Amino acid sequence: MTMKLFAWQQLVISSLVLGVLAVAETRPQYGGTLRVSIREAPTSLDPADSTEADFLARHNLTLLIFDTLTDIDDAGNVHAALATSWQAAPGNQRWQFRLRRNVKFQDGMLVTPATVASCLRTANPSWKVLPDADSIVVERDRPAPNLPAELTLPRNAIAKRNSDGTISGTGPFHIAGWQPGKKLTLAAEENCWRGRPFLDIVEIEMGRNFRDQLVGLELGRTGLVEVTAEQAHRISAQGARVTPSAPIELIALLFVHDAHSPEEKLLRDALAVCVDRASIRTVLLQGTGEPSAGILPNWMSGYGFVFSTQPDLQQARRDREQVRTIPVWTVGYDPNDSIARLLVERIALNARDAGLVLQPSSSRSTDLRLVRLSIVSTDPWLALANVAAVASMPIGDAGGNSVQDLYRAEQALLATQRLIPLFHLPATYAATKFLRDWSVGADGSWRLNDAWLTSEKTNGDKQ
Amino acid sequence: MTFRRKLLAVFALTVFLSVATVGWLVSTLSRRAFERADDERTSALVTQFRHEFNRQGEEVSRRVEAIAASEPVTRMGLAMNHTAPDPAAYFDAAKSTAENYQLDFLEFVDSQGTIISSAQWPAKFGYPEPASSSLLSMAEKSAFLKQEPLQDNPALGLFAVRAVHVGEHPVYVIGGRRLDKDFLSALDLPAGMRVLLYPNYGDHPGSESLINPSRSVATPETNRPAADKIASLIEAIRQNNQEMTAIVHWSSDRADDELFHAIPLQGPSNASPKPLLGILLIGNSRRSYVELERHIRATALVVGGSGILLAILLSSWAAARVTRPVEQLAGAAQEVAAGNWNARVEISGNDELAELAESFNHMTRELLTQKERLVQAERVAAWRELARRLAHELNNPLFPLQLTVENLVRARLQGSQQFEEIFRESSATLLAEISNLKTIISRFTDFSRMPQPQLRPVQMNDVIRGVLQLFQAQLESPGRGQISCDLQLDQRLEPIPADPELLHRAISNLVLNALEAMPEGGRLSLRTRGNKDSICVEISDTGAGLTAEECNRMFTPYYTSKEHGTGLGLAIVQSVVSDHGGTIRVHSEPGHGATFVVELPRNPDTLQDGSEKNQAETTSSIAAE
Repeated sequence: MTMKLFAWQQLVISSLVLGVLAVAETRPQYGGTLRVSIREAPTSLDPADSTEADFLARHNLTLLIFDTLTDIDDAGNVHAALATSWQAAPGNQRWQFRLRRNVKFQDGMLVTPATVASCLRTANPSWKVLPDADSIVVERDRPAPNLPAELTLPRNAIAKRNSDGTISGTGPFHIAGWQPGKKLTLAAEENCWRGRPFLDIVEIEMGRNFRDQLVGLELGRTGLVEVTAEQAHRISAQGARVTPSAPIELIALLFVHDAHSPEEKLLRDALAVCVDRASIRTVLLQGTGEPSAGILPNWMSGYGFVFSTQPDLQQARRDREQVRTIPVWTVGYDPNDSIARLLVERIALNARDAGLVLQPSSSRSTDLRLVRLSIVSTDPWLALANVAAVASMPIGDAGGNSVQDLYRAEQALLATQRLIPLFHLPATYAATKFLRDWSVGADGSWRLNDAWLTSEKTNGDKQ
Repeated sequence: MTFRRKLLAVFALTVFLSVATVGWLVSTLSRRAFERADDERTSALVTQFRHEFNRQGEEVSRRVEAIAASEPVTRMGLAMNHTAPDPAAYFDAAKSTAENYQLDFLEFVDSQGTIISSAQWPAKFGYPEPASSSLLSMAEKSAFLKQEPLQDNPALGLFAVRAVHVGEHPVYVIGGRRLDKDFLSALDLPAGMRVLLYPNYGDHPGSESLINPSRSVATPETNRPAADKIASLIEAIRQNNQEMTAIVHWSSDRADDELFHAIPLQGPSNASPKPLLGILLIGNSRRSYVELERHIRATALVVGGSGILLAILLSSWAAARVTRPVEQLAGAAQEVAAGNWNARVEISGNDELAELAESFNHMTRELLTQKERLVQAERVAAWRELARRLAHELNNPLFPLQLTVENLVRARLQGSQQFEEIFRESSATLLAEISNLKTIISRFTDFSRMPQPQLRPVQMNDVIRGVLQLFQAQLESPGRGQISCDLQLDQRLEPIPADPELLHRAISNLVLNALEAMPEGGRLSLRTRGNKDSICVEISDTGAGLTAEECNRMFTPYYTSKEHGTGLGLAIVQSVVSDHGGTIRVHSEPGHGATFVVELPRNPDTLQDGSEKNQAETTSSIAAE
């Protein structure tokens, strides 16, 4: 009887201990250093520095240190951030944003309307931004119905530029160490208005190629790395935790010049319809991403399927046969992009089937280039405008804010035949198994505010 | 050319021809030997290349077999036999496998001939392999040549095909090595040989497509004419598909020439007709051959030259030995011709030349003896003639003298009253005959003491006219036959340096002779004409003419054909002509008159140099007829 009682007691205690341990493992805990590797190597952290390329990694770095007046979710809805509310005057040219009270920069100074106005003017010289009592007023020279969404862009992040050259934000981490283009060390901001993040330190190594990043991850030196879309499938099959965003990167062929003649337009049409996107996605992209003939991804616009991605070799040959002289087009690609050359070669092969002549070249001076264009925002208008700006294509006045207006605007851009969309790829990351509650936004942004490292990793770091 | 030089030339020519013949023979034989060696070397290289080619082919086959037997490829074969195979998982398998197995070309092809993965053209996945049916039939066979289409240009490679049978649907492994510079460089070639490869891509043949593993030798890129020669050779191979040979001249230096043996490289043996995929050009430098040939030639030239030089020296010595007696003979003969009758030749040896020299010496001795005898005889004859003349000349006045003196003596003895008259007449006769004697003596004296000519410019025509004027009365004398005078004077005649008095005397003698030769009348012709270096005076008569003997002796002193002549007239004429450096000759036949031709030199220098020099020259240039 005693023995039986003892056994039962032991069983209950064991169950309790295991239960406590299990709860402890799933409960977020503070501490730890997360090491991140990225391929890009920014030399400035100032959000308004227009000399820096506007790539996704910079977007993520900015939002770890700084806040914007507004936030945007994966569905493209705008939410309050440093601005608690906003209101547009009739005509959408004049906007007033009321600021959140008692928010402090990381150096302890209060966020004031004057600071915010100055910061926005620096980032947008054409804007007229005026501080008010507890708000700012933004006046645009033409209607800006998307201004709240536009304020979510990283360049509009609120930063305080100090006289000693340092810069402060209101984000969850402050800068603890900065070697431009090499390494950024961020420390958790205890007094963040959003609340202290669980991670103590985030160390970001820059300029690391994908291979080195993967090696670092496999050796346990790095907790979060970028992976290419074509690597994702294989890495995932090897057991790594791979997290993709929504397809937010457009791979396209971008012509350097406008089409000068009807014959050239026919040839560009032929090129657009001869590419076998499905085969390329299946084999070269290893099934990731989605073939696309539109600029915006289908998840964002909702009408992406309208643009056919099926190859039509007969149509391409008919177009080609109408042209007497076939030029040799040189197609440029980024030699540092592991998949770009293969993509271009395959497209050249498809083009050859249609009777076109494409010559891959790593030179910068080519007739067209294979480009990767980031969809910087989940707001389709902003995304479209950004692609048009990067591709140096004119985008007309929307004239409205409906899906039809968006479709017409995109259609107008495609009609210039400067751009042949091919695929939309996600931003894909691989993380260590010790990183918990980490997620990727639809726009590829890191969600590190709630991320934490398990005790095993945390202890390992402490040791 | 002297006899010695002729002899020397014959000796040298003989030696030269001998050396040249030997040199030509050596050169020809060595060239043939080198050509044979060249052919053997080329043949050996071709054999070596084929061996190397087969070895490389075996190596490619071995590697492809290893790939086909490897675990990843076996897994691929298994995957391809699933109901829904996923070739995307293997699209980059070929590249890494090719790198691992050091192959330039590698493709995995499914049973339908569709490319699963391609190392040489990764983007070609999903495309059908060209000529897959014939290609896949080469599985398990030895390596073969194949033209592989690539993105930029096709490439020539050595391929092998192996099948991976792990299910119903085999997977084929097509691997190969590129026939490129590295491949050619791997060939172990003897020095002076190289291999070029022309991949036949079907376009216009051009040497710029040549794969040349070495840049240190002559290349078609730097030598357009030679490149054209190679291009024409390539074109010929393309037309005939047979092995050919040609020499390419890379420069004007023959040592840079290269003998190319071209071998057509054909496709797989099961293809019909076998496609020409490439042309192997085996270059064999002719430098060693040309240098050796040059060495032989230089040696032959040195040896030949030395031989010729030695031969010339020896020939000179031999010719000198042979020709020295002949030259001595020739020199002695020239001395004899110049009047040195005492010339003798040294006799050495006992051969024909010694006999000839002995005969020459004997001849000159005899000539000298004969000459002395002749001179003695002439001297005696001259003295006899002179004595006869003197006796004759002196006898004529002496007889009247004797008669006159005897008449005078007789008249004295008789006491004739006419004594006085006889005395006067006899005295006159005596004086006249003594005068004749004096005249005779003065002629001889004049001849013995002919004055030296005092030269000054003399117009010969004037001399002629003066003489004619002197004889004009005599020509017109009624007591004798009519003599007409024909005067033909060259008016362009220029003055010559001469003594006018002596010339006048000589011409007068000749005219007087002519007149005396025509007692019955006739025709006297006087002609002058100018030659390049002399002037000529001809005095002709139509008298009885002269015999040949008279012509020969005409100018001998004291010789005369006339009854009362002294025989000194023509001797004086000859003396005067000789003193002026001229000549005199006579043409005559009995019954046809006679013509005396006097030729006097123009010789303008004598006008300044004076008579002494003129005397020396004219004396030495007398030509006796």
